[in-house]
Amino acid sequence: MPMFCRRNVLSGLFILALGVPAFSNAYQLFVANLILIYVLLAIGLNVLVGYAGQLAFANAAMFGIGAYATALLQVHLSWPFYFAFPAGTLIAMAVGLLISLPALRLSGLYLALSTLAFAQFTQWVFSHWDNLTFGAGGFKSPPISFAPLPVSKPVGLYYLSLIVATCVTLFAQNVVASRIGRAFVSIRDGDVAAQSLGIDLLGHKALAFGISGFTAGLAGGLYSQLLNFVSPEGFDLFQMVIQKATIVVGGLGSITGSVLGAGAIIIILELLREAKGAQEIVFGGVLILFVTFFRRGIVGSLQQHFRGWDEPLHSARPIGSALPSQVRLGEKESLS
Amino acid sequence: MTDLALAVRGVSVQFGGVHVLDSVDLSVRSGEIRGLIGPNGAGKTTLLNVVSGIHAPGRGDILLDGTSIRGHKPSEIARRGLGRTFQTSRLFRGMTVLENMMTGLHRRTDSNIFSAGFRSRRAMAEEREAEHAARKSLDFVGMAQFADRRGTELSFGQQRVVEIARTLISEPKVVLLDEPAVGLSMNRLAEFDLLLRRIRDEKGVTLILIEHVIRLVMEVCDKVTVLSSGRVIADGDPNQVRNDPQVIEAYLGKELRARYSAS
Ligand SMILES: Nc1ncnc2c1ncn2[C@@H]1O[C@H](COP(=O)(O)OP(=O)(O)O)[C@@H](O)[C@H]1O
Ligand SMILES: [Mg+2]
Repeated sequence: MPMFCRRNVLSGLFILALGVPAFSNAYQLFVANLILIYVLLAIGLNVLVGYAGQLAFANAAMFGIGAYATALLQVHLSWPFYFAFPAGTLIAMAVGLLISLPALRLSGLYLALSTLAFAQFTQWVFSHWDNLTFGAGGFKSPPISFAPLPVSKPVGLYYLSLIVATCVTLFAQNVVASRIGRAFVSIRDGDVAAQSLGIDLLGHKALAFGISGFTAGLAGGLYSQLLNFVSPEGFDLFQMVIQKATIVVGGLGSITGSVLGAGAIIIILELLREAKGAQEIVFGGVLILFVTFFRRGIVGSLQQHFRGWDEPLHSARPIGSALPSQVRLGEKESLS
Repeated sequence: MTDLALAVRGVSVQFGGVHVLDSVDLSVRSGEIRGLIGPNGAGKTTLLNVVSGIHAPGRGDILLDGTSIRGHKPSEIARRGLGRTFQTSRLFRGMTVLENMMTGLHRRTDSNIFSAGFRSRRAMAEEREAEHAARKSLDFVGMAQFADRRGTELSFGQQRVVEIARTLISEPKVVLLDEPAVGLSMNRLAEFDLLLRRIRDEKGVTLILIEHVIRLVMEVCDKVTVLSSGRVIADGDPNQVRNDPQVIEAYLGKELRARYSAS
């Protein structure tokens, strides 16, 4: 096996991540933790969009639901974080499965629009159901304590996030390399042919939505702890753009790409904080540059330049045409 | 009755008021190779689409191995043992040839998200067996050397041969082939009737093929059904059908006339 391969790069990143608290200041630790949270988001979204080919826009909303549910269970019901976090994750996953029900029969732009509508509805609930969500101003959520472990909250949360992100990365990598992953890709690349091979379209779409809801829920729970403050703004359309950017920049149809893309996008966004006001414009520019010159994302370029880079089931199409069956306004695949 | 692998009974299909299929009957015995011919637009592909569940028939019934599959989802029909290929290449572009083949085994394997995600011993064993079966099935159609290529690197004809193997790997009882010889190289075309017979004899598969290469149809098919404007106009053994005046008029005649008027 060549030195510079997927496995070695991920292992190297993991070892680097283990050491981060030892050599970083509070701000750098915060950013590193944020990256881990976006790794979770990117993996779930990539399974749904990059592998299963479902152009859905509900991930930011499910992220928000995970954050709200985890925090509100602590605030309203005084649940400890360690119960509220898995419960919040399951709630986000359940919502993901629920919104997949109408979405299962829609494709292309119809799916995009219906999931966008759901995201807007979620925003509305976050800001207007004051009794439950404390409205547009948001609310504080109690910080976890890692006692009796001798770690501070930021360091403890960082390692918790690292454990979760590592487990999800390994699990997702195994799943996409299995018959389930092949079923996802077959649906993306030709749903009529997939069905004629006995692959259940609705079941696998629901599974992909469930996976993305689950990882977004995990991310949301950790995020609520990272900020100890939850408000609707964090889960709006720009959030969705950021998440899409992570998988496009990292590489559609690649778990490693999700990890690298999450790191790249969060670091870019943090560097752009300097450019106050222009952040979104510069960010847009960076994205356009990327889509123009690295059409298959970071992983696509790695694949091209390092022959030993094995990337099972990576999207064969360049980004520009990555999702033709969705973009053709719900047009059915030709049947002949 | 039960030795009928596939029975189509009075199936009609309309698209926007136009009868694309008009009470079509088709009875294919187990172990038969059936040819389905007819001029362009006769409704041959539509018939395969109805049988494989992509279109619901407006009227009529379809029996696979004696049980009705009318109204079933395509994936259910596939799981009951019906395989098919398409007129165009339908290899999954993001996969290698081998991965395409393993996808064909989907309905024969059962590891779920947990056993796959945790790499259970059973899931891993299943994965190895799937790869082995995939290579064997590629070998059966003479495509073993392409296992690790992308589908898109293959010629059109090669892609379509892989698709036949991808269907066969799940051991279907009945396989529908939509113009399988289109795009084949001269070498492969010369051996294609042999391949079809081997599929029938070694895999025990009942074959129904739409085909324009008349020589192939005459050589390999036990029986031939002729479709014209959505209706069955002849049904019988190849020589009998070839000499049927109605067929000559509707199918061969049209071509001949076109050829004469063109020259
Ligand atoms: N999905 C569809 N919608 C409307 N018309 C269709 C559709 N599919 C096929 N047709 C029409 O049905 C007729 C039969 O088509 P087809 O079954 O593809 O013919 P063949 O395979 O025999 O060449 C053609 O006139 C075609 O235009
Ligand atoms: Mg046709």
